Amino acid sequence: MVSLTINGRIVKAKDGEMLLAVLRREKIDVPAMCHHAAVEPFGACRLCVVEITRAEWKGWCDYVTSCLYPVSPGLIVNTHSDKVNELRRTILDLFLARHPDCPEIAELAGEYGVFKTTYETVVGGNNCILCGLCTRICDRMGFTAISTVGRGHGKEVAPPLRQAPPDCVGCLACAENCPTKFIEYKLRKKRVTIWEREFELLTCTKCGKTTITKDFAEYLSRHRAIDAGYFEICDECRRKNLAVSMGEIVNWERELLT
Amino acid sequence: MNHDLGRLPAIFKRYPKSPESLIAVLQDIQKEYQFLPSEALAETARVLEVPLSKVFSVSTFYNAFSLHPKGEKVIRICVGTTCHIRGAKQIQEQLESQLKIKAGETTPDLKFSIETVSCVGACAKAPVVIVNEKYHGPVKVSDYKKLVKGK
Ligand code: SF4
Ligand code: SF4
Ligand code: FES
Ligand code: FES
Repeated sequence: MVSLTINGRIVKAKDGEMLLAVLRREKIDVPAMCHHAAVEPFGACRLCVVEITRAEWKGWCDYVTSCLYPVSPGLIVNTHSDKVNELRRTILDLFLARHPDCPEIAELAGEYGVFKTTYETVVGGNNCILCGLCTRICDRMGFTAISTVGRGHGKEVAPPLRQAPPDCVGCLACAENCPTKFIEYKLRKKRVTIWEREFELLTCTKCGKTTITKDFAEYLSRHRAIDAGYFEICDECRRKNLAVSMGEIVNWERELLT
Repeated sequence: MNHDLGRLPAIFKRYPKSPESLIAVLQDIQKEYQFLPSEALAETARVLEVPLSKVFSVSTFYNAFSLHPKGEKVIRICVGTTCHIRGAKQIQEQLESQLKIKAGETTPDLKFSIETVSCVGACAKAPVVIVNEKYHGPVKVSDYKKLVKGK
């Protein structure tokens, strides 16, 4: 354990732990659009920037992305100094120029008092901020169905050959974790379409509600040693059913003991 | 243009069957076919055990790779700072008007492609034009015939 000072308060943390994780635990609100606990920090959005210093730095400060900065003893952190807020405003200003129609960006920018970009607005862009969360998450789960394509101004997230991705299982994790809700999907009664690929959804044999896609269930039972039968009931029904199955176990134990 | 995949096994044989070989394999496919046919990308993914999306990502990242058939002769005009100052623009215009295509395009008979590249590290010879692998420089506007006809 190490001690550091955050916004004037002494805080304990694990040595080498990423600063953003400590901030989150301490309920200190710092914007972070490219961060997700499931994947390695990436440093793409730059919004989690904070000011750091140390007693021995004699007043010198540094500005670091907290998601990528490991803590060490004696670190002094300021998450909302004037300079930090100014840096975040500049980043949001740039985001606004590039994604003028993105409600999530507009909201965050508004919180920092940026309502209009001071840069030239990009025409014909989209709401993808290229944070890489979708591709990293898909990768982490073992599918790697989508990736970044091209580079520089033309860089985008897309499935291979810009066609329905063969390795996608329709889990929707990419879409649900996209900070700007850029990845679209369509849920219909028993089907879901994402990345222009349509998947069949399994339905709970008890209540009839849809659960996960057939492809995802197949993947889990084939590669992750989960019995395919597990997906025949939804979580809700499984919980409801707990009363019955646990009751049976309790009865059975009683019988054994008497 | 021959899209048959028959030439792929010989390429795969040159390198270890592992993800590290990806760029080398793609370079050889590009050389062999003058572009990366989509079937070849799928086959590369399978043989090297690299996810198809990663193969596509790499194929679209480097300018040296093309997903569309390129001409037999790829003419790359350097438009880096030095070459620009020394007249790359005029050379580009001349080549474009002679071949009746713009940079980034290929002639319908698949004989020529024109591309622009940034500094290729040969500023001493600016303005530089690279035809397939061969560097030419300093190039004059009147050299276009030599560039188009020569080897
Ligand atoms: S829906 Fe497809 S692309 Fe998205 S995370 Fe799941 S497998 Fe990957
Ligand atoms: S699609 Fe969403 S999650 Fe993926 S890179 Fe773009 S903004 Fe990030
Ligand atoms: S969360 Fe740290 S750079 Fe995006
Ligand atoms: S600018 Fe053309 S070789 Fe350097």
